[in-house]
This record gives sequence, structure tokens and C-alpha cells, in this order.
Amino acid sequence: MPDPVLSLTDARLTLAGNAGPVDILRGISLAVNRGETVGLVGPSGSGKSSLLMLMGGLERATGGQVLALGQDLTAMDEDGLARFRRQNMGVVFQSFHLIPTMTALENVAIPLELAGVPDAFDRAQAELQAVGLGHRTDHYPSQLSGGEQQRVALARAAAPRPALFLADEPTGNLDGVNGQAIMDLLFSLRDRHGATLILVTHAPELAERCDRVIRLADGKLA
Amino acid sequence: MSLAYRIARRELRGGIRGFRVFLACLALGVAAIAGVGTLRAGIQSGLADQGAIILGGDAEMRFTYRAADATELAHIAAISTTHSEVYDFRSMAVIDGDETLTQVKAVDAAWPLTGAAVLEPAIPVAQALAETGGLPGAIMDPVLIERLGLTVGDSFRLGTQDFRLTAALIREPDSASAGFTLGPRSVVRTSALANSGLLAPGALFETRYRMTLPAGADLAALETEAETKFRDKGMRWTDSRNAAPGIERFVGQIGSFLVLVGLAGLAVGGVGISAAIRSYLDGKTATIATLKTLGASGGLIFRTYLVQTAILAALGIAIGVALGAAIPLLAAPLIESSLPFPADIRLSPMALIEAAFYGALSALIFTLIPLARTETIRPAALYRGGTGTRGWPRKRWLAALAALATLLIVTATLASGIPELALGTAGGILAALAVLALSATALRALARRLARHTRGRPALRAAIAAIGGPQSDAIPVILSLGLGLSVLAAVGQIDWNLRRAIATDLPTRAPAFFFVDIQPDQIGPFLDRMTADPAVTETETAPMLRGVITRINGRPAREVAGDHWVVRGDRGITYAATPGEKTRITEGQFWPEDYSGDAQISFAAEEGAELGLKLGDRITTNILGRDITATITSFREVDFSNAGIGFVMTLNPSALAGAPHTHIATVYAPPEAEAAILKDVTKTWPNITAIRIREAVDRVAEALSAIATATAWAAAGTLLTGFIVLIGAAAAGERARIYEAAILKTLGATRARILASFALRAALLGAAAGLVAVVAGGIAGWAVLTFVMEGDYVFEPLSALGIVLGGILATLLAGLAFAGRSLAVPPAQVLRAQE
Repeated sequence: MPDPVLSLTDARLTLAGNAGPVDILRGISLAVNRGETVGLVGPSGSGKSSLLMLMGGLERATGGQVLALGQDLTAMDEDGLARFRRQNMGVVFQSFHLIPTMTALENVAIPLELAGVPDAFDRAQAELQAVGLGHRTDHYPSQLSGGEQQRVALARAAAPRPALFLADEPTGNLDGVNGQAIMDLLFSLRDRHGATLILVTHAPELAERCDRVIRLADGKLA
Repeated sequence: MSLAYRIARRELRGGIRGFRVFLACLALGVAAIAGVGTLRAGIQSGLADQGAIILGGDAEMRFTYRAADATELAHIAAISTTHSEVYDFRSMAVIDGDETLTQVKAVDAAWPLTGAAVLEPAIPVAQALAETGGLPGAIMDPVLIERLGLTVGDSFRLGTQDFRLTAALIREPDSASAGFTLGPRSVVRTSALANSGLLAPGALFETRYRMTLPAGADLAALETEAETKFRDKGMRWTDSRNAAPGIERFVGQIGSFLVLVGLAGLAVGGVGISAAIRSYLDGKTATIATLKTLGASGGLIFRTYLVQTAILAALGIAIGVALGAAIPLLAAPLIESSLPFPADIRLSPMALIEAAFYGALSALIFTLIPLARTETIRPAALYRGGTGTRGWPRKRWLAALAALATLLIVTATLASGIPELALGTAGGILAALAVLALSATALRALARRLARHTRGRPALRAAIAAIGGPQSDAIPVILSLGLGLSVLAAVGQIDWNLRRAIATDLPTRAPAFFFVDIQPDQIGPFLDRMTADPAVTETETAPMLRGVITRINGRPAREVAGDHWVVRGDRGITYAATPGEKTRITEGQFWPEDYSGDAQISFAAEEGAELGLKLGDRITTNILGRDITATITSFREVDFSNAGIGFVMTLNPSALAGAPHTHIATVYAPPEAEAAILKDVTKTWPNITAIRIREAVDRVAEALSAIATATAWAAAGTLLTGFIVLIGAAAAGERARIYEAAILKTLGATRARILASFALRAALLGAAAGLVAVVAGGIAGWAVLTFVMEGDYVFEPLSALGIVLGGILATLLAGLAFAGRSLAVPPAQVLRAQE
């Protein structure tokens, strides 16, 4: 029996552009089951990242419905979405997006602290250990290499044990070796926590590692 | 047209959006200096143009405790076309049931020789001072009229003479030349005082002979002639070239001080100027790297951005000069009418040039290092990303910076005319900025240590992390706010401690009254009266004469002692057979009780040391026109701090035998007994003048409070510049905040939590700036009170709390002004833009 953890019904996204409104997503309907790994692929500008943002509640659909873990994301306000992500989602970006004023350990601890986890720092320490950065906990992002920063970002996403992992081209800014290591880490974290993983990628070999590949073209499912 | 200029012009096509803080900081600092300079020039020009009116004549000869003798009067008549004689002294204005101190001006029919007195009702002076209803007429300062509850037509008494009040003295033309007075003015005819019992021999009064001179009279020559003939007889000369030297000196000093505070404002603004240029050049790294890739030299790059900075600085300076000139000009009618002396506020090119010069120099000083760093940006920055304007520039630029800073300090020192004050202020500003920068660095270190103790409180921890981590605002915030807040804190501490000293210390340490003009035959009954009064705890009396020290060891005193206060004017002199119980002789020996040989002096030890005097030195003093030369045979300690009786010079009694003199007395009594003593003394001995120490101290406190207010306003100006710098820093940090908010939202932070974190960060920085300012201001206050005022210092918490709260409010306002957008922008929009 399929157990959809995420379902989109005629989801649309229109953004204001210089030359008028631009339709980014044009009626996307799909469902992702619990524990599934899904690769979102397609040419640049096809709407992959926007679809991921919609799934994470980082972008609000301008039409249709987005349900995550049974909750209607389109009906939540911004703070409601933040609370929902805090408990259920881990997001990894191509550009890492660590907070530059915080150390690696503090970056990993912050979602746990936001969720009110009492042993946030012990858990953050363990997560950093798990990604091989136990010795760099007091370093600021600017003192870490790109690969190390992405490992911190992975640890941060994994720390709250989210049901949903969303990753937007997590290896896009890394060289081949580092990229491979990060992907191994991402899949092993997913396997360890049994989460659902949705991955935006340009790399065919990465897409092949997913249970299912969804192709987008011009804002629609291809 | 040079290539650097052409490139600079193309670069500036984008407009000046990123330079608002740069322009505001520079314009504000320049405007403050130009405004103060314009005001100072206006007052100085007013004093110069209307010198004759302020003085009450083209020239004046002044004598202490005597009228001019026949020779002097003949000289006055010979050199002048007309002249007027004015007596000036303190007395008690008495009505039934009340009495108060007044500064009496007794005039002849020629007064006022120049200018016009404004009376209410508007009647001529001659009519106002004429006999009315059997009593001579008198005019009074409205403050005095109100204090005594009089109305025109009422009578009052000076000494034993009754007068009828005929008008209020709204404007006294020659008031500015009188200097500091304790009582409001009364004006009467000298002839009406004949039966008053005032102006008796030995009484304390001054006479002023104002003269109008023939057209084209050579004032310098006339001064030299009068000085040569009469200086040794105690004559002092003033003329319209410098009619109110006290005011002119005061205005000059306050003006110079405020210009220096304006420079402090520029220094604070410099933080914003520097930050704006750095941020602009950071954004230009790619352009610079590209230009270098295409073959541009480091020198060309430096010149290109120097030209841009110069164009912007010229714009900022022009705005500042325009504001600094326009505001005083627009407010001129208001300012001129509210000043007690003439001012003629108009465009003063020199003041504007001075302000523009300081502005240009400051702009160069604060932009030189970021500009010099552009030389070291490498083309590789294009590929590696990041900003290239960090690190130390070449040594020659550091040397140039030191040279420019020295030029600024030297110019400010020379232009101020008071090098000690200028150097002291410049040193103080530099030291304060260094202390503030060190404190900010220490705060960052502290924040990093504290971060681990704030776990579990994410809003607080994010705030602490932002203060201690990279891209911290701690240094710009504490530098920009700290200086203004430190000055305000110091003013608050000093002001409160002075008030406390006046309110609590004074009654226990100082006498309630100074009584002057006690005639020799009155001193016995006066002492009996005080001794019999149970409320009086102590009475001290001493005979007093006034004299001018004219020579030291045969040489003119001014040559030996310069401008020391002891030789500047006339001094109180006393005589005594014994040193007195409280006197401590520090050197030499006091004369025997029955000594009647050559004149001897016991000199105040501290002042003697300052004048370089030693035992055996001979001092010539002119007392009532007669020279007395005496030998210093001892030095003694004199405490001038408790308002008791203290004389710089005590002579042996026989040295002053026969010289007309009066006695002074200090009476110690609790405040509740003061009124009864005053009433009784003025009733029994109408010629005796009582000076209530409390009122005298209040007048001094008022004057100090005015200076404190001026300083506080100046500090507020610095604070305003600091606030603009804060706004600039907040604006510059807006992108970083938006980014941070987007990440935090992605990780599950609500907007309230993010806002709380931003607010906490601002409040913590503001509180830190306030605390540093309280410590710095407290130390400055302690130093001023302990070493300059020789008083006690007690920390005052209330104004300190105000300073900390002010710091918090300023940073909160500036920080939260830009928080709205960071909360409103959807995270996807921000994060996508960063990908």
C-alpha cells in the first residue's frame, strides 16, 4: 500500500518578472512515498529547484495544493511553515548556506535548539563526528573548505532526524572526489534514518542511484 | 582628461546610492564646524564693531576703591571730548521685610556716553534718575524688581538712602564690559549716594571713567601714555579695540572647544566614511581584477578610486559648508537677540574654509587605507571570488596616513589659539577611540567565550555568535556610539557630583555669608552681635584692603609673573600681628607680634611657588594709589576651596598703618538661621553688604551648568553622527541579515524568534557601548573632579543607567529599522539568488 509522504496536486508557481508574470511551474501533480529516494532532473530553468522549494515550503505555491506528511503547506503561514520544517524536513543546498557568524558545531546545533532539544550540542557533536568533522567543530564556515562546509550542512540537515530530506544540487559546487563523498554521505544518512530523499541533480549517475527519477521540462512533468 | 578621471566618471554613472552615509557623515561634521565657526566669527565681529557701545565709551580708565585724583582727571579731560564717571559696587537693596544683593552702578549725567539704555516704561534716563516725590529715582534689572516684589513707584533703600523705582532696566548698553557680577543691576545718580553711608573710605568699589575721543585718536598711543603715567597708581586701561576681553576670550575658547568637538564628530563620522568606502570597494573587486587583467597598473587603480572619493568628498563638504553657513544665518535674528552681548552673524569665508579643510583632510585620512588596498588586488581575485580589500597596504601609505593625521592635529592646534586645550582634546579623542576599539575587541572575545554558556537559547546564542563571530558589528557600533556617549557620561557624572557638593558638602564646609564693607568702628559691635547669636557657629573676620602687585624685585610684575591670576588684577590684602590658629607656615618665620620695622609679607605658599617667589623677594603693591614695598619673610598654606577667608598676601600691621580699610567677615550658620541674620545686619548696619555664599555658588553653578549644556549639545552632535554611522552599518548589513533570516527560516525559526535575535544583538551591542562609555566617562569625571576641581568623586548610577539605555535605544532603532525586509523576504527568493 503506497504511503505518500508528499503529494502535489496541480501545483503552480508564477513569479513576477521584469517583463511581466513568469510561469515557473505549470500544474505539477505527483506523489512521493515514505522511504523513497526521488531524483528531480531536467535542463536548467525547467523548474527543478522551484519544485523542491515548493515541497519544502520555502516557496508558496500560487495555485494547487502541496501536502507534506498529511499537512497542507499552502494553508500555512510563514511561521507555521518554519515550525513544520523544524520538525520534519532537512534541506541541503548547492551553496551550503551555513550561517557565517556561527561555528560548525553551532550551525549544526541551531535547528535542534530551535526545536527545543535539550542535548542539542551533544547531538550536534555526534552528527559532526558522523560526517568526519569531529575535529573542526569550532571552525567558522570561512575557515572550512567547500567539501567540509557541505558536510556541515549535511550534518545540520540530518541532526533533527527529519522525515524528509530535500537536497538541491548538493554537489554542484564541489569537485568530483568531494562530490562523490558527499553523495555517499547523503545516501548513508538517508539509509540510517530511513527518511525520504528528494534530490535535484544534473548528474545522471546520481539520478541513477535514486529509486525513481522525475523529469521536468518547461515547468511541467516530462 | 586623464585615464583615471575618465574611468572614475564612468564608474560614478551608477549614482551615489551607496554613498549616502559617506555624504551624511562628512556633511554633518563639516556643517558643525562651519556653523560653530560662523557663530564665533559673528560674535567676535559684533564685539569688535560695537566695542565703544559695550565699553560705554571709546576708552576707559578704571580705578579700584578710589576715584581719579586731580592729575588723572586732568589727563582724562585733556585727551577726551566728553567723559563720564561711573561707580560700580555691591550693596544690599532693602525693602521692609526683604533685602537682596545688587550690583549698583552710580552714574553722572553723561551716562550712557555711547549706546542707549532701554527702559520700561520708555522714559529718558535723566527723567528716570531725577528726584520723584521727594526721593531720587532709580532703575533696576527686572529680575531684581521681581525678587523684591516691587512695582514702579515703590521705594527701596541702598545703605541709608531711600530711592524711588522709576523704571525697569531692559537693556543696559555697557553691561557686557562689567564681567561676572553676583547681583542684578541697580542704577542711580552718584550724587544721590552722598548720604547713603556707602562709598566710605575703604569701601569696596570701582570707578570707571569712560571717554569719547576725537576722531582719529591713536588708541595704542593713548594707552601707552596712560599706562606710563598711571599704571603704578593702580589704573587699568581698556578701549574699544578690545572692549570685553573676558567675553571675547570666553567665546574664543568655547568656540575653539566646539570646533574640536566638531572634529570629534568627524572622527566618529570617519568610521562611517571608512566603512562606506570599504564596502563600495569590496563590491568593485571584480571590476578592479578585470581592469588589472586588461593591463591597468596599481597606481592607475588607486588614482581612479581616489578621484571618485574626491568627487564624493567635495559633494559632502559642499553640502556641509552650505548647511553650516545657512543655519546660523537663518537663525541669526534669534541668536542675536538672545545673547547678552552684540553679535553680527554673517557669512564668514574663513570659518567655511576652515571647515572645508578639516572635512577634506578627514575624508582623505579615513579613505586612504581602503583606497591603498586596491593596489594589492590581484587579477586572480576574479576566479577565486571573495573580497580583495583586506590586509595591510604598503608602508608608504601608512606613513602618508600618519603625516595627514599629524597635519590635522597641528592645524587644529594652531587654529584654536589654545594649544593646550586643542592638544588635550585631540589626545583625549585619540585615546578614547583607542580605548573604545580595544573594548570592542575585548567584547568580541568575551562573546566568543560566552557563546557556549548560552546553549539552548537560540535567539540569545545567535545574537552572541553574531557579536563574537566574523563580520561582527562590535567595532563600528562601539566606536560610533562610544565617543558621544562617553562625553555625555562624563558631563553627567561631573554635573551630578558638583550639584551634590553644593547641596551637601557646602553647608558643612562653607560659611553662610561673606560680609564686606564693615567699617573699623563697626567690627566690634558686629562681632558682639554674632557671638551672642546661638545660631552662629563661627565667625572669622579680617581687615581688608585691595591692591595691585606692580613690581617684583623692582621689575614690572607682569614681566616676572606673566598672566598669573595673582598679578592680573587687584587682590585682597590683609594685615595681622600673629599668624592665626589655623595658619601653617611652610617656610620662613612670621614676624613677632609687636613687630614694627620694615614692611614684611607672608605669601601664600602655592601661589608663591607658581610665581617663582622665594624668601627675601621684594613685592611692591599699589594700595589706593600708594606704593608699598615689602619683603617676603614667610610662606604659608592657604585653603581657597572652602570659601572661607584666604589672602594671598598678609602684611605686618604697621606696614599698612593709616591706610583706609574695611573689614570682611565670614559667618557660619545653618540655612534656617540665614534670613534672620541677614535682616538684622542690613537693618543695623545698612552700609554692610552681605553675600550669601549659597547664592554666589548658585551663580557659579549656573555658569558651569551652561558650559555643561553646551558640551552636552556638542556631544549630542557627535552622537547624531554616530547614529548615522549605525544606520549606515545596519544598511550595509541588511543583505547579510536577509540571508541569515532566510537560513534560519529554512531551519525552522519563526519570524518572532529571528526578530528577537536581531533585537538582542542590537541591544547587547548598545548596552556594551553604553557600559564602555560609562566606564570611560566615569574615569574622566573622576579625573576632572579629583585633579582639576580638587573635590570628591562619587559614582552616579542614574545618569549612567540613562547612558546605557540610550545606547540600547540607538542600536535598537538603527538595527530594527532594517529588520523588516529580512523578515519579509521569502527564503526561496534569497537562497535562490545565492545559488
